[in-house]
Amino acid sequence: MTRIVLNGREVEADPKRPLIDACRAHGQHVPTYCYHPGLTPVGSCRICQVEVVQGEMPARVVVACRTPVVEGMVVDTEAPKAHETRRECLEFLLKNHPLDCPICDKAGECDLQDFSFAEGQGEGRTHEPRRELAKRKSLGDVIVLDQERCILCSRCVRFFEDVTKKPQLAVAERGAQSIISTFADRPLEGNYQGNIADLCPVGALTLKKFRFQARVWNLFKRASTCAECSRGCSTTVEVLRDGEVKRFRPRYNERVNKWWMCDVGRFAYDGANVPDRLAGAVVRGHSGLEHTDVADALDSVRDVLLANRARALVVSPFVTVEEGEALLALAKKIEVEPVFVSPKPNGLEDDLLHTGDPCPNRRGLEQLGFRAKSAEEVLALLGECECAVLVGERVAALIGDGLRELPAAVRLIVLDCTALDVPAVSVCLGLATYVERAGHWVNVDGLRGPLGAARRAPDGVRDTRALLADIERRLSAAEVEA
Amino acid sequence: MAATGETPSEPQLEPTDDQTPPAIELPEALRAELDLLVRKYPDRRAALIPALHRCQEELGGWISPRTMEACAAYFGLEPVDVYGVVSFYPMFRLRPPGEHVVGVCRNLSCDLRGAPEIVAKVCEITGAPAGGTSPDGRFSVELLECQGACASAPMLDLDGIYHENLSEEDVERILGGLA
Amino acid sequence: MSGWPTFLLERCKLAGSHRLDVARANGAYDVLAKLLKDGTPPAEVIAVVKESGLRGRGGAGFPTGLKWSFMPDPARDSRPRYLAVNADESEPGTCKDRVLMEQDPHGLLEGALIAAYAMRAEAAYVYVRGEYRTSYDRLQAAIDEARAAGLVGERILGSGFSCEIHMHKGAGAYICGEETGLMESLEGKRGHPRPKPPFPAGSGLWGSPTTVNNVESIFNVPFIVAHGAAWYRTMGSEKSPGNFLCGISGHVERPGVYEAPLGISARELLEDFAGGVWKGRALKAWIPGGSSTGLLPASLIDTPMDHDSLRDAGSMFGTGAMIVLDETACVVRASEILARFYDHESCGQCSQCREGTQWLHQIFARIERGQGMADDIDTIESLARGMAPAKTICALSDAAAIPALAVVRHFRAELEAHIEQGRCPLRSAGAVAAREGVPA
Repeated sequence: MTRIVLNGREVEADPKRPLIDACRAHGQHVPTYCYHPGLTPVGSCRICQVEVVQGEMPARVVVACRTPVVEGMVVDTEAPKAHETRRECLEFLLKNHPLDCPICDKAGECDLQDFSFAEGQGEGRTHEPRRELAKRKSLGDVIVLDQERCILCSRCVRFFEDVTKKPQLAVAERGAQSIISTFADRPLEGNYQGNIADLCPVGALTLKKFRFQARVWNLFKRASTCAECSRGCSTTVEVLRDGEVKRFRPRYNERVNKWWMCDVGRFAYDGANVPDRLAGAVVRGHSGLEHTDVADALDSVRDVLLANRARALVVSPFVTVEEGEALLALAKKIEVEPVFVSPKPNGLEDDLLHTGDPCPNRRGLEQLGFRAKSAEEVLALLGECECAVLVGERVAALIGDGLRELPAAVRLIVLDCTALDVPAVSVCLGLATYVERAGHWVNVDGLRGPLGAARRAPDGVRDTRALLADIERRLSAAEVEA
Repeated sequence: MAATGETPSEPQLEPTDDQTPPAIELPEALRAELDLLVRKYPDRRAALIPALHRCQEELGGWISPRTMEACAAYFGLEPVDVYGVVSFYPMFRLRPPGEHVVGVCRNLSCDLRGAPEIVAKVCEITGAPAGGTSPDGRFSVELLECQGACASAPMLDLDGIYHENLSEEDVERILGGLA
Repeated sequence: MSGWPTFLLERCKLAGSHRLDVARANGAYDVLAKLLKDGTPPAEVIAVVKESGLRGRGGAGFPTGLKWSFMPDPARDSRPRYLAVNADESEPGTCKDRVLMEQDPHGLLEGALIAAYAMRAEAAYVYVRGEYRTSYDRLQAAIDEARAAGLVGERILGSGFSCEIHMHKGAGAYICGEETGLMESLEGKRGHPRPKPPFPAGSGLWGSPTTVNNVESIFNVPFIVAHGAAWYRTMGSEKSPGNFLCGISGHVERPGVYEAPLGISARELLEDFAGGVWKGRALKAWIPGGSSTGLLPASLIDTPMDHDSLRDAGSMFGTGAMIVLDETACVVRASEILARFYDHESCGQCSQCREGTQWLHQIFARIERGQGMADDIDTIESLARGMAPAKTICALSDAAAIPALAVVRHFRAELEAHIEQGRCPLRSAGAVAAREGVPA
């Protein structure tokens, strides 16, 4: 490591990375547009100006993203000349940039807004008409491009070149006529398009699915983990005031997904906004499944288990490590082998992130001792038992329609987010989805990813482990009585 | 050069099977020429711009999207990268030109020596608007930046040949026969 | 003209000078041959060019020998090495390299071979602007002739020195005359200049050590090697030695490309070489060295044409291309034309240049057609100071800012008159009429 003086403090800087990284690593903020640590630096936006003194040379203002770290360099990120040059840069960028903030999705998380507010001047001086370009250019199913807002940082171009290794966008034309474009109006392809909306520092590239959906300052954000495959990319779950999940975004994770996530994961939040939630419990009565007290439902669970000795426990791979531990205890209690339903590979694996295994906690459950069984194997297992406890978000969906065909002699106890209305079901209890509870999953490489509760589960939904504990308590009490 | 608006036909290749669309390739003679051209460079891609010149000369006086795709295939590039290159350089036309292209420099030295009158005369004779193509498709008139004929201004470039030290009579003489 | 020694254009005056037989009969390749026969150490060749004080003739005026010496020691760096000859001549007013390429291509090739020899380059690429068809064809024909005569390619003249020379065409971008923009373009990409560091000698074409030199700079090399640094320094001035090719254009009796020593007064060039301002008119303004240097008023016409004098006068030597404006010329129109040029030519990478060149163009255009506003002049100055110096990847931003600042400095009153009167006070009939017929 090299030693430099950064804003008066002597610090260590990695000589293999540009100066900007050292500034950030030590908490000294320098604005950037074209620079992104995950992409090849180009030094074109010119905003990351800092003042450096090297040896005997007079102080000069340079772009930190293209300045090599040199032993003994003295760096001042707050020098007046640096701020002045940044201010000028911002004025140039705002000369053509349309004042779309009131209708632009990026407002509130826009680097042009933020840096203008921090470093820019209050009023522009241009009398000139702004350039007119395509404002709503569809780039396919995922992205819409507003060429007028684009500040030509070229991050999107470099993302496809550097990360997906297949160029899809280019800077076309020249000078002030430059635009970002695909070839011959072709749509973008691939499972990583959404990342360019994250990368875009302004509202030029936005997600069609998020367009006009929410103001970002109304979104409550919580760190979480993606559920769509065993990569377990780190994410942020973003929920609007009314509780609807409006967005998943990638969260930087050095060892798992860096700054990226795939579109399958990014747009899976509909799966978290499940209609027909089971808030509480239902039991089978004369006219079908009827709502009941959770306490009464738990009594029914106990009764079913006690009345039937040939039992099974099947969990969904959405259960957390912590829930898995509680489920192991229950499995032991009811004397069954712990099993989880293992989804089939979905064929979406690629060289980047997606593993093709749509199973968020395979390793976590395997490590605990759960046995993986395919949906067919699970149905076969269920067919041979008298009662079964199915636990976990989407456990019913993952086992599939075969549940409908189970003989009525099989009694099912289902803990899931929605009620399962098939003849075999005796009682259902509602659970929280993975955006409503905390815990951990373990990814394909054995790395733990946290879940966080971004919103509360509907009233009446009880904590999974609390429910399991209550079941165990009831079973224990019955044993005592027996 | 091809007449305005017609995209020159390129050889159709047999599809390899029902699913694969026919590959878009440059004509064989052009590819043979490029095979020699690329040997001048340690990296093939360096031949792209000279190759695009040849494509423009042979394939209608412009670079069509099909030409871009064919070039991309030849060089192992994505078409979007070829498009980015083509659209950067003003000598590459993204629209078919007239049969004859007349370029007039309007930078400072030429302006001082009467380029505006030359432009007006060219437009008058050819019937093309400055920066556009004549309705009969015979002429395109391009307004150019400095062509390096400053000491022999004003000038025009007719289909790649410079004509310098022009008077309006010279313009009549040069273009009149073609119009 | 006035008894100055000349050498650059001597062969160009001969009929058929572009042909090998004529060129060789008049000295072409003699210097190369002697160099190879004597086995002169390459370092000595670099040394003599360095001592000569030859400064790059492409506009930046960087000492050529010094640039050559930046190439790494081949004993420690085994990467292939290249010379790129910058024949992209696109600076408005500049038409001198063209003369050399069309009329003495062998002179250029010999210079390139000697430069390649000195820098131990294995190949030279001559990047010619796409519009210079004759230059390209003449140089290609000359290479073919030279190859057939054993002067280009493997084991030149039976020596151990091998060097290929390849012609390469540009496609209409001024920014490809910037050395790193040239390299990007030569590699088959958009001509986006590269940030420096790294410098071309460290990482140039295809990541290899490369030196980029202007045509006229290279053309000087055989003469310097033949006659020595002391000879070279008998011409020109101390810090700007040698002769240069001055292209004089605009409002003069005899526009043309003339050979003169650096340090000659601009007045002598104008009056003795170019016959003075045409039509008996008075001089109003002149640009010394191509559009990027910024115009000067008539009062400064006695300024010596060398790097330091012109810098002290508030302009630059640039490419040594004089553009002359007479009393009827509107400097605001001239400024608009140049601002339009930089707007058109900006590659678009850097925020200040991409937006600033367009903005300056728009302001000058408004003023020129009588729609100027009271704050426009202040804005021009402020924008130009935001665009320069050295705030961007390359100097095109500076090149656009300098002429804008120059016209404000020297002709503020003319700008103000346009703004206050809402029209061009000169009402040059040709200019106005043509303006109305011609889209900007």
